[in-house]
Amino acid sequence: MLKGFGGRQLRINLSTGEIRTSPLDPTFARKWLGGRGFVAKILYDEVPRNADPFGPENRLVVTPGVFSGNFGPSGSKCSFGAVSPLSNGEGDSTVGGHFGPELKFAGYDLIVFQGISPKPVYLFIDDDRVELRDASAYWGQGTMETEAALKRDLGEDFEIAAVGPAAENRVVFACIGHDYGRQAGRCGVGAVMGGKRLKAIAVRGTRSTPLHDLPTLKELTLRIIKRTAQHPNMAPWQKYGTAMFVGWSNEHGVYPTHNFQTTYFDRYAGIDGGPLVERILVTNKACFGCWMNCGKYSKVQIEGKDTVYVEGPEYETGSLCGGNCGFDQIEQVAYVNWLCDTVGIDTMTGGNIIAFAMECYEKGLITRKQLEGHELRWGNLEDVEHFIRMVVERRGIGEYFARGYQAAAAYIGGGAERYTCQVKGQGMSGYDGRGAPAMLLAYMTADIGAHHNRAWTITMDEDLGKDVIRGKAKVVVHLQHIRPLFDTISSCRLFWGEIDVTDQEHIDAIKLMTGWDDFTLEEAMRLSERIWNLNRAHFLERNGGPGRKFDYPNARFYEEAVPSGPAKGARLTLADLDVMLDEYYAARGWGLDGNPSREVLEDLGLEDVATNLERAGLLGQLSAPLPPVRGEKYKPKAF
Amino acid sequence: MMTVYLKGGGLLREYLQPDVDEYTRRVEVAEGRTLRQILEAIGIRPVHVAMAFVGNRLVNLAYVPSDGETITLRPPVQGG
Amino acid sequence: MRIQVTAEACSGCRLCRQVCVVEKFGEVNPRKARLRIEARFPVPGRYVPHVCDQCGDCAEACPTEAIVQRADGVYEVQPELCTACGVCIDVCPEGVMVKGPDDIPFKCDFCWRCTEVCNTGALVRVE
Ligand code: SF4
Ligand code: SF4
Repeated sequence: MLKGFGGRQLRINLSTGEIRTSPLDPTFARKWLGGRGFVAKILYDEVPRNADPFGPENRLVVTPGVFSGNFGPSGSKCSFGAVSPLSNGEGDSTVGGHFGPELKFAGYDLIVFQGISPKPVYLFIDDDRVELRDASAYWGQGTMETEAALKRDLGEDFEIAAVGPAAENRVVFACIGHDYGRQAGRCGVGAVMGGKRLKAIAVRGTRSTPLHDLPTLKELTLRIIKRTAQHPNMAPWQKYGTAMFVGWSNEHGVYPTHNFQTTYFDRYAGIDGGPLVERILVTNKACFGCWMNCGKYSKVQIEGKDTVYVEGPEYETGSLCGGNCGFDQIEQVAYVNWLCDTVGIDTMTGGNIIAFAMECYEKGLITRKQLEGHELRWGNLEDVEHFIRMVVERRGIGEYFARGYQAAAAYIGGGAERYTCQVKGQGMSGYDGRGAPAMLLAYMTADIGAHHNRAWTITMDEDLGKDVIRGKAKVVVHLQHIRPLFDTISSCRLFWGEIDVTDQEHIDAIKLMTGWDDFTLEEAMRLSERIWNLNRAHFLERNGGPGRKFDYPNARFYEEAVPSGPAKGARLTLADLDVMLDEYYAARGWGLDGNPSREVLEDLGLEDVATNLERAGLLGQLSAPLPPVRGEKYKPKAF
Repeated sequence: MMTVYLKGGGLLREYLQPDVDEYTRRVEVAEGRTLRQILEAIGIRPVHVAMAFVGNRLVNLAYVPSDGETITLRPPVQGG
Repeated sequence: MRIQVTAEACSGCRLCRQVCVVEKFGEVNPRKARLRIEARFPVPGRYVPHVCDQCGDCAEACPTEAIVQRADGVYEVQPELCTACGVCIDVCPEGVMVKGPDDIPFKCDFCWRCTEVCNTGALVRVE
């Protein structure tokens, strides 16, 4: 019997209403582990290459992994995956809170939706009882409204994941909301869910997860809790969460400002963690089983506006919806955060898109008339509120922004691509890469587009030199394996990154949960690499090659120097980017065209994928022998 | 000269090279030095310190520690 | 001797519930926990832990006197006297008694596991 997992999967055809429950195959579980692993494999195997992300053949995959609901070092995460309407490749996004654990307690490790429902529905799960129910009463409501309404109608002890009007209207960067302010935000997974007319998933689970050796697991976890409670990072983390780094990232010249025009926002003091805690914080908020609570739940009162409650702003929102849109007061940022959460758009790509539109307005590329008589000024709340409504309701020019960067830039013209701060259609995270070349490389090469959760390198860039191009690619590769691993096992990366819970301790916990005595960190890292290559192949098979041509950011990042602040003068050239890409592809065992080679795919047990790529003419040629281990851990030099 | 204790976890530990306990490094410094100067003297770049605390009080790198004080240093989030 | 609750500090992580069931039933399944966290969201945004304060209402309500007080003040269910009628569960003012195997009710016996893992100061052991 499979231990550590719920043991079952659900297949749901929204077109026909058919619901099938079956056992989870233990071999599949071990090979792909759950979370992001299940997502990658299922999308690769099941979605036809020419299928429209909004078509019935796309899948929406929902999967808590082995840690979810478990008694390990954290266990809160749940992955949502679909072929992304942003990148037209594999997309996955992970949400914390209590949803993943609840699914697990209901006994499910995997839900795969296909088809499109003829009318709005939500999925109701109460242990063995699984039903598609009419959702017309909730259709049109915001994510948090829907959550509250479903809890009222079904019971407080149901956990809800819901989409808002943006997803209903297929705004490509729509997210999925849960627990009043946590989101599976990226890759447009919400847009796919809304496009399937699936308004929400409500779940209650009462089962115990079968475990291999709970007594030893308990010992391990209690030991970790005791140790980390004393960790020097614990108290500041609990108090400020991630928001405190707005100040730090400004002081080091990596803070996106006015749509990444510069990397220093001189008025950041009003939107840092300090004002958040002092002015708007209501309560700290944690995911399931987490003893380091980074969530900040806030109450926002702005004159002339309704009082609103929102979880956040965390760092990414505080940068991308903060200085990047010119807001200098924490209340304003929190209000924009709430607006995005309510209508259900990702604050990251959303914040980017708003800033992009603002810059276009500043440069006269879009006009007041196109904005229905409104303006779109930096730091103006009314303007932003109106613009968001235009996008969500797809009114006028909002229609083009709702379709994503490419459509908007093409419509606007006048060289607007330069201002689309994205890679593969995904808006950049809250760090500017011009003063941190490896960070830019990480965005360029991330499987889902410019997202920092795959690799984050700012301090290494500072250590090795902000203008040093060479010698960093291997570390990016290593990070791209270790960091997403936490989304695969559904634990929170921050336990590893912030309070020194080791990677090996996570592996030990998995062994105790599952009884896989021979499971090793190497196996997990190889799985991560297998997922990475599978996603790359999937992307290429859908979009054509060579892969390299998709791996560049907008021209701002290789043609413009940072004009002000601590990183003033920092710039990279296209030639620099090419040097980094060459190194990166070599470190991965890919061809210089950015296509995976047969050698590396076979090494990872992906022979069938190599054959598919070969047939499509998308197989890369190794330019040097295949490195036996791809990626290298960064070792800070001793002083 | 006086003694200051610097405390840090995560990546900072690699730079701090703790010698008192798992997280703490003891440093002998001349009086009147700022935290920034102390860090630089032991080869830690300011980029590795996002926040500094004396007890519960948040201080910045211009802070001048007194003899025997413990300063808790917080590295940046590894990608928030 | 009591569990001191500071609701404002609670982050709603439910680690206390998880460890309670791990300790008492050897399972992971927070629904069986002998304490609960009430979440008042979206407004006003507050978690309120409910724990047993050994008030004795359960013992008073029990028709077979199956719940008795130990010398240290803790009330305990005697399974051999219990008829699984469930009255105690209904009367518990904090709503923290739960059904175990064979519907025998279980209650908090001050093992302090929850106070040991709670890292926010919301639950503190007081002698
Ligand atoms: S650190 Fe934050 S994101 Fe991670 S589990 Fe805790 S509350 Fe959730
Ligand atoms: S462990 Fe503490 S913070 Fe977490 S839910 Fe329980 S009482 Fe609240």
